Amino acid sequence: MDFAFDDAQATFRTTVRRFLADNLPGDWEQLAHGPGSASQTRFARDFCGKLARAGLLVPHWPARWGGRDADPWIAFILAEEMWGAGEPRGGQYMNVNWIGPTLMRFGTEAQQARYIPPMARGEALWCQGFSEPEAGSDLASLRTRADRHGDGYRIHGQKIWTSYAGAADACFLLARTSPGKNGISIFLVPMDTPGITVRDIPSLIGEGDIHEVFFDDVAVPESARLGGEGEAWNIVRTALSLERVGIPRFALAARMLERAVASLKRQDRFGPHAHIGAARARAACAAARLYSYRIVDQRRHGETPGAEASAARVATVMCEHQVADFVVEHCPEALSGGDALLLAHHQRAVVAGIASGAAEIQLNLVASQLLGLPREPR
Amino acid sequence: MDFRPTPDQAALMTALERLVEPFAAPPTDFRRFTLESEELESQLEAAEFFDIAETPGLGPVAAALAVERLARLPCTAEVALSMLVRPHLRNGRWPRPLAFVERGRPARFLTRAKTVLVADGEGLGVAFLSRGNAAAVNSLFAYPMGALDADVAVKALEPEEGAEVRRWLRVALAAEAAGLMQAAIDSTVEHLSVRQQFGRPLGTFQALRHRLSECAVLAGGVKWLALEAAGTQDSGAAALAAFHAQQSAARLTYDLHQMLGAMGVTLEHPLHLWTYRLKALQSELGGHGAQAQAVAQLCFP
Ligand SMILES: Cc1cc2nc3c(=O)[nH]c(=O)nc-3n(C[C@H](O)[C@H](O)[C@H](O)COP(=O)(O)OP(=O)(O)OC[C@H]3O[C@@H](n4cnc5c(N)ncnc54)[C@H](O)[C@@H]3O)c2cc1C
Repeated sequence: MDFAFDDAQATFRTTVRRFLADNLPGDWEQLAHGPGSASQTRFARDFCGKLARAGLLVPHWPARWGGRDADPWIAFILAEEMWGAGEPRGGQYMNVNWIGPTLMRFGTEAQQARYIPPMARGEALWCQGFSEPEAGSDLASLRTRADRHGDGYRIHGQKIWTSYAGAADACFLLARTSPGKNGISIFLVPMDTPGITVRDIPSLIGEGDIHEVFFDDVAVPESARLGGEGEAWNIVRTALSLERVGIPRFALAARMLERAVASLKRQDRFGPHAHIGAARARAACAAARLYSYRIVDQRRHGETPGAEASAARVATVMCEHQVADFVVEHCPEALSGGDALLLAHHQRAVVAGIASGAAEIQLNLVASQLLGLPREPR
Repeated sequence: MDFRPTPDQAALMTALERLVEPFAAPPTDFRRFTLESEELESQLEAAEFFDIAETPGLGPVAAALAVERLARLPCTAEVALSMLVRPHLRNGRWPRPLAFVERGRPARFLTRAKTVLVADGEGLGVAFLSRGNAAAVNSLFAYPMGALDADVAVKALEPEEGAEVRRWLRVALAAEAAGLMQAAIDSTVEHLSVRQQFGRPLGTFQALRHRLSECAVLAGGVKWLALEAAGTQDSGAAALAAFHAQQSAARLTYDLHQMLGAMGVTLEHPLHLWTYRLKALQSELGGHGAQAQAVAQLCFP
């Protein structure tokens, strides 16, 4: 076992940090507020283009798609530094982490040629159309229909909580082609297709983030389907397992904790009471980091992470809340305009246990798969 | 960064697994607070397990892995201080077993200890015992506990050495706690899988599944923090690991006993062997408040 990064990894981290120092504008922290806001989205397009030209957008992708086949550690160090800086890539992190790789694995040549190059250039923004008003944790009960019509499909239904939908170019959409869990298919749908309406949902997480998306008789060709009919579940399982360790939330949490403590110290308010909260949050961040590193390490060795990924996610949710609570208790002014990045962190932290799947679902998986407890009756 | 044991570490753990096998089963017909095995200790000594932290190719991470594994046994032995702290004492190889006495309180393994570390505020001292300097005391803690004679001569350690010893005491505490937690969780999983109420195993009730899963996530975190602290030899990492161990111990001991119902308060069920050792560790090194203070100093400079 070795708990240090090697020279190449450390150098890569320095390169990314230097890039961030050179390319984040002075008012970046104000911009970071509202990950889906119009100003953030505009900024991210420009910033991701620069990242791409510096070879720092998709280094872990195959050379064929603009990467250099870098190992999972490089991808993760990059993600840590980006998320730790307040995620200047905006919603494009999803392309990098899982939408691009999923298309590489399951897409047709035409789909790959159409969609992957713009992602690799940092020009594309996608949204993920999974959740519906009646289908949240129980995603398999989704109702949005894609009915066969001529040599294509007509899509009817509604999605909700869709991040970035207001600015997205395309949607990675789940829709039902027949009844049952095995009747769900994936469609790659340009957001300017007639019949799509997007409505912003004002929320605690910030301006422009989550949306309702209505599909009213939206015509798509057969070539928009990713994989075969009814194959969504298999493909999504792969995609979600990529996402589950994809966001190193602990990186921003740990930095925000340091920032809060530094501010308390400047005011001479870092006393014994705050020590306990700070230690608790710091330990939770460190535990989440090590759990996540373990998953990256498994990937690096060609293993498929199982329930450990769920444990990592639970540890991450714990750390987000410990840090957010520390800030609320000791630096409450941050939530009232005192510190834009602490505020932005708080807004992301409070949804850590909900967005990309409720933490309780992960706890169920830990109970059955890691601990081996008997399953709940259905 | 590599989370897999090296081939040497893996071979060591295989050898250890073979050594502990005869000690792995909880005793039957057991009605006592404490379960100690001097036989285990002498086998570890004979196989030179107390030297692994200094063995090239093994080192402190291997020692921490071994401490964690041994702590999962129902029986206890003086392992953690010998494996993880003793190699960092200067001025030669002090005789083992070791004990650690704080504020004159009863301490673990004291009646057999030959070297005793004595905490006096921030400072640390060392004393060498011959049998007779310490008296056994009855205790709920599932370790053999003893009290030190007041008139034992203690020699103060230099502050620098004291700080290093304290760092390794923290790593030792966290590594041992990680193993105790894992064994206590395994024992609870077994109970919840077998015990039926309302016509189904208790382990199918989500209230308990989630609670136990959270305990497991905390315990896993303690293990990784302990291993990282052993690997990086960083004082801040050690303080963090000990803090997380003591904080999590408080929650786990309550939750796990709750899940066992009345069976968990019997001496016959082995759960108390791990949870009451955890409770002993919860109070050491000044408890989690002192660890928090150390984290504040070392991790937020
Ligand atoms: C900020 C944000 C961004 C999001 N972005 C997207 C997006 O881009 N695309 C998308 O498709 N979705 C998105 N989502 C939706 C997200 O995936 C869902 O919120 C999540 O899957 C939970 O579904 P739900 O909100 O309907 O909660 P419900 O399923 O109604 O559950 C509510 C709560 O009940 C509990 N619960 C539910 N089921 C169980 C169970 N089986 N056992 C125990 N407890 C249970 C959990 O505590 C859960 O949080 C986003 C959500 C948020 C908050």
